[in-house]
Amino acid sequence: MEITVTQENFARALTAVGRVASNKTQLPILNNILLRTDGNRLLVAATNLEIATTQYIGAKVVKPGAITIPARLISEFISSLPKEPVELKVKGDNLHINSGKYTSIINGVIADDFPELPTINEKSSIQYSIKTEDFKQAVSQTIITTSSDSTRPVLTGVYWHSQDGQLVLAATDGYRLSERVLVETKSEVSAIIPTQTLQEVLRTIVDGDDEVDVLFDETQVRFRINDAEIISRLIDGNFPDYRQLVPKKSDNIVKIAKSDFMRITKIAGLFARESGGSITLTVSEETKSLSIHSIASQFGENTSEATAEVTGEGQVTLNSRYLTEALGVIDGDEVEFSFSGKLSPCVLKSTDVKTNYYHIIMPLKS
Amino acid sequence: MHHALWQSVLGEIELSVSHATFTTWFKNTELVDQNESGIVIAVPNIFAKKQFEVKFNDQIKGVLAKNGITPKHITYTITTTGKKTRINRETTISQESQTPESLLPSSNQNVQSTYTQNAPLVGAGGLNPRYTFDNFIVGSSNDLAYTASQAVAANPGVKYNPLYLYGGVGLGKTHLMQAVGNEIVKLQPGTRVVYISSETFVNEFLDYVRFKKKGFSDKYRNIDVLIVDDMQFIAGKEQTQEQFFHTFNFLHQNNKQIIISSDKPPKSIPTLTERLRSRFEMGMTIDVQMPDFETRCAILSAKAALSGVELGQDTVEYLATNIKTNIRELEGALNQLLAYAEMRGIAPDVSTAEGLLGNIRHSRPQHITSKQIIERTAKHFQLKVEEVCSAKRDKHIVVPRQIAMYLLRSELHLSFPKIAGELGRKDHTTAIHSVEKIEKAIKLDFLIREQVASIREKLYA
Repeated sequence: MEITVTQENFARALTAVGRVASNKTQLPILNNILLRTDGNRLLVAATNLEIATTQYIGAKVVKPGAITIPARLISEFISSLPKEPVELKVKGDNLHINSGKYTSIINGVIADDFPELPTINEKSSIQYSIKTEDFKQAVSQTIITTSSDSTRPVLTGVYWHSQDGQLVLAATDGYRLSERVLVETKSEVSAIIPTQTLQEVLRTIVDGDDEVDVLFDETQVRFRINDAEIISRLIDGNFPDYRQLVPKKSDNIVKIAKSDFMRITKIAGLFARESGGSITLTVSEETKSLSIHSIASQFGENTSEATAEVTGEGQVTLNSRYLTEALGVIDGDEVEFSFSGKLSPCVLKSTDVKTNYYHIIMPLKS
Repeated sequence: MHHALWQSVLGEIELSVSHATFTTWFKNTELVDQNESGIVIAVPNIFAKKQFEVKFNDQIKGVLAKNGITPKHITYTITTTGKKTRINRETTISQESQTPESLLPSSNQNVQSTYTQNAPLVGAGGLNPRYTFDNFIVGSSNDLAYTASQAVAANPGVKYNPLYLYGGVGLGKTHLMQAVGNEIVKLQPGTRVVYISSETFVNEFLDYVRFKKKGFSDKYRNIDVLIVDDMQFIAGKEQTQEQFFHTFNFLHQNNKQIIISSDKPPKSIPTLTERLRSRFEMGMTIDVQMPDFETRCAILSAKAALSGVELGQDTVEYLATNIKTNIRELEGALNQLLAYAEMRGIAPDVSTAEGLLGNIRHSRPQHITSKQIIERTAKHFQLKVEEVCSAKRDKHIVVPRQIAMYLLRSELHLSFPKIAGELGRKDHTTAIHSVEKIEKAIKLDFLIREQVASIREKLYA
């Protein structure tokens, strides 16, 4: 292999795929990044056998070829170089790198030992092209409620499925749940995408990308963002039938400005650190207010109140962190918060129905 | 039959690739179908599928050809458990609907306790559904362990808590423990059963320490049945032991069942802290012993029947006589025999077995000499060979001497006069007496049994 690439492109690609190269597996070659010429482009790829990520960058190819190189060393080296063309030459098992006054030789491993990258058959799979903005928002909104408990693998990802002609994303960790309707769909889909994969996709998206292409087949999913590709396995199993958990109606409905709600939640949270984030919300139709009370027995206590449009009187105890996180991902200026008594699930959503999103939090028993 | 064939293919491939490659790619693969048009091999994920299709296909074809099978086509599919990801099929998500996620509220204000009362596990963690009581073969060597395990499965957390099983490798401890877990899940769906090896526990703990993560103590407390395999690996790891100790106490106090296995009884694990040892001993401690001849025969017949083959009584007896130490090895020999017979299209009878078993037996140092037995025994008791062979009658020498005689008899089938001669005696009646005495003691005295088993294991190691 003998090629020339620009430092900027190469550094960006290496950093993006380098996150995936892992030292956790038994197979030492997974620590390496694969470099391979592909026409007049350079393919830069890494995998941990759950995800494979690939970046293509433009290159001047003198002699095609391939090699694998330890991920960390090469990314750090290339990132430290000035913005000049970088020449790469493979001699035996070594990669010779020349850029201006900088030269290095890095010991590699022949590319034949690198695992084959999975491919997906575009004809037999289902494809969605999603606006980057929508994609980022929907994934951020659902990813926060995935579980990290490996004893229940189905909850460690986001459930992408079709429901009534819509592609719906849902996730739950057992204490909270979120659902986002994303785009219309004519096909049937039901797949659980690992949280780590989605995080990786979010990180790979850079400003200026318009669309994310998502391609499902029965066992894998592929995301394509311009010249980057991420292929991942799907989580095997059935996602719980979560819809039956969503309350049909609630006794208390509060409509409140999101900024007010966030502020009083944040303040109350300061006094709830000792009690594991436990804060008590009281709503009153009479005084048209939502107040939050929290106690830190050693330090003191707090009550904060905000004006709100309220139906009914009631009280509920929640984890302030869950509430803060939920408010952080809800779109729009005004939110609707509804609950019934101290034990039933609380529903949070924007008063703007076009946001297509709701979030459920289970109360703490007080 | 597929299983046996695939095992022999894997056996051959294991020799030609590196260990890391083998464990990464070939573990958890299976031959699921073989017919006119070709062979179907199940692999665990998309990465493996691609790797097999591109890199290993020729190699597998080659090995299959050596075994007399030349499929037109090899296809690789991805194994999935139960229902899975679907695309483009009819609607309705759950025909067999699962227990829905119960977004249960917690019992008090404190978040930590939120985690202790929560949603049932959808699938039981780490259990292999293949291990059940039904396919566990009971004999005199393991019926106590079997009965206790069944009692535990019927009433988890009530009887025998903790249940501590110990014994050598390949005697069925893991099978029994997994069977308890599976049975509990079957009887009481929704029970949270977690099966881990103590090594996993140690590694996870280290991860938490290293990355300063929180919540480790909660992870194993929010379950109903904790099964820990190969407990001996926790020995010598102080911090982990302490963590496990707290977890253990918490579960035990809440009447959650704990099942532990190890290769030794608690008191024989030298670096186990005192408080863990006493706790392990407070439930039921049972050893799983080497299967006797009859049990070995039963195991062989049952396993052969599972593969759809009926073995002649003489073949079964031949195998059972020649492989004594370990069930895993026994199954290996049987698989090899069945695969070999299938490939050659001959009957798996005694002569085939004899031809094959020759290989198996040569694969390890089989020829034990009387000298080795005496040396091993002396070493085990930290005596000199001369002392064992001397005429001294101190108690700490007499018992080892008797054990040595017993082993000479049981392992080498030496005549009594010969045994007496080996140990410097003239009178063969001493040998008769010694062998009888140890035979009896093995049945009654736990310590002697332990020692004999341990020496025997070292002899064959």
